[in-house]
Amino acid sequence: MPSNHIIVADHVSKVFTDPVDFRVLDDISLTVDKGEFVVLVGPSGSGKTTLMYALSTLDTEYEGTITVDGTDIASLSPNQLAQFRNSTIGFVFQFHYLLPDFTVLDNVSLPAIKAGRWSADEIEERAMKNLQLLGVADQARKRSSRLSGGQQQRVAIARALMNNPKILFGDEPTGNLDSKNTSMVLDILHDLKSEFNQTILMVTHDLQFTERADRVIAIRDGRIVNHE
Amino acid sequence: MSSPLRSNALVKIAWVHLVSKKRQTIVAILGVMFGVTVFIFQAGLLTGLQNYFIEKTVNTTAHIHIYNELRAERPHVLDNVRAYDSTWKVVRNQKPRDEERRLRNGYQILRALEQDPRVEGVAPYLGLQGIVRFGTAQQAATLAGVDILREDQLFRVRENLIDGDMLRMQTIPNGIILGSGLAEKLGVQVDDNLAIISSKGVVLDMKIVAISKTGITAQDNTRAYITIRNAQRLLQQSGAYITDINVRLRDVNAAQTIAAEYQSRYQYRAEDWVAANANIFGVFRIQNITITFVIISILVVSGFGIFNILMTIIYEKMPDIAILKAMGYRNRDISTIFVIESLVIGVTGGLLGLLLGFIASVIMSSIPLNIQGFVSVQFLTINFNPVFYLVAFGFALLSTAIAGYFPARKASRFDPVEIIRSR
Repeated sequence: MPSNHIIVADHVSKVFTDPVDFRVLDDISLTVDKGEFVVLVGPSGSGKTTLMYALSTLDTEYEGTITVDGTDIASLSPNQLAQFRNSTIGFVFQFHYLLPDFTVLDNVSLPAIKAGRWSADEIEERAMKNLQLLGVADQARKRSSRLSGGQQQRVAIARALMNNPKILFGDEPTGNLDSKNTSMVLDILHDLKSEFNQTILMVTHDLQFTERADRVIAIRDGRIVNHE
Repeated sequence: MSSPLRSNALVKIAWVHLVSKKRQTIVAILGVMFGVTVFIFQAGLLTGLQNYFIEKTVNTTAHIHIYNELRAERPHVLDNVRAYDSTWKVVRNQKPRDEERRLRNGYQILRALEQDPRVEGVAPYLGLQGIVRFGTAQQAATLAGVDILREDQLFRVRENLIDGDMLRMQTIPNGIILGSGLAEKLGVQVDDNLAIISSKGVVLDMKIVAISKTGITAQDNTRAYITIRNAQRLLQQSGAYITDINVRLRDVNAAQTIAAEYQSRYQYRAEDWVAANANIFGVFRIQNITITFVIISILVVSGFGIFNILMTIIYEKMPDIAILKAMGYRNRDISTIFVIESLVIGVTGGLLGLLLGFIASVIMSSIPLNIQGFVSVQFLTINFNPVFYLVAFGFALLSTAIAGYFPARKASRFDPVEIIRSR
């Protein structure tokens, strides 16, 4: 195996049976390289989000093989899978999913606390560093529900980066933001890629993303229709 | 195992959930608290009363009571007469034979029992029904002919005296100790003289030397102690005539086996105190079953309260659960959060319930009530047995654990993709 491939999908298919049989992913094969910024696009219902969840280990019900960072996802038990997600993958969703009654700092710390690799002081230090990187360090002690939408999404990215994930997955991370915040988030993601060689895979509608991504994969009816 | 930091995070999440639902949490805690309080209070009250009664009963009934069990029925006189085909013979109104109630060799049995190392004391008894008369006032009474020193050893007669001196039964020939209710009805006091009349028509003049109050209303209203000698005179019997022997054992709980042994040895009925009070213990058992059901149903209801609040929290916090799972928190971590929540409710409610139950018991036991009923009680005797507190707390934890288990399991099985995609 060439070690530069961090994600390898091999003939992946998925069928929804409810309400009627519907082949949402139809024999998809693709690879993503380390440090690549890949964007999945396609009309709604095309299967792009389903593909992203399968590639990101959250959805394990599919046919075919998905290998992430050299590990066959299907071979992992639920607990191993959780552990794998914790150490390897970061998520940013359309909604920020911050715990509303916790401070920003606590929210960002949660993945690291689960990892159990660092002391409380180290975790706080890392969290502050990440918040600084995202430009929201001054909000650290506030409850997350008090922040603006743009700030919350940046905190969510800081949280996703907490355990130095090998891949950062995004599901319409700017879908809920105005254009100013959208370009700010996009800049941040771009910086992550160029400065830290962060592998990023995003599902988006946003044309700005397609312009700045390394590669755009278009999905339609469960198939890849272009390889740019 | 999880690190302290990680479990701290789960505890913190659980805590935030509970605090964000303050009112419902408090209601759930109150539910558990109420259940535990009722448990402590009811169990303490009921068993306290039962123990009081058992103590009184054990002190006033003999551990073993030996007597001659008379059977009123006997074979018909004609059963043994040869039947002739052509004749009818009829005998109606066959009376019970004048069987003797006495224990033959009563005093010999008494002395033999005294030698038994398991026996603490033995007292002879000769009981009869009579009428106590004071001027124009008359009351039917159970006259207990006793050896007062032996009787005291068995039944703590002296402790129950509210007036007078027990020992005067020994120093004057015609002393009588009246039950308090009896004395009240007759309107007599210590040192008054009164007459007792037996069914044989014998009249004796007696002097009241003491008044006794056992707390068991039926006894206090009817019983009078006299000497055995006087009882024999009332029945026109000789000096060896006794009808009962009462035995006090060193070990109350051995009564049943020892009674059986005596019964086969002396061929007289030997009844232990449990059998003698079987009807009362039956009532106690029914009481205990009833109260157990009441308490269990209260705890079940409080369990539903906990179940309800946890389900509400779970549906409200679905996004939290989803993101925690996406971050790599395991199913076990998620269910731990909700188990912690139910335990916080259970432990808090349980502890408050223990405290409140204790306070309620203390208050209740210090209110003078002066109940005159089956037994007369001035204060409610409440049982502060720590076992109740442990059991109540255990029950509280158990019911909350069960009530928390199902929501916790449900939460841990949520599919994060479904939650996230449904937004």
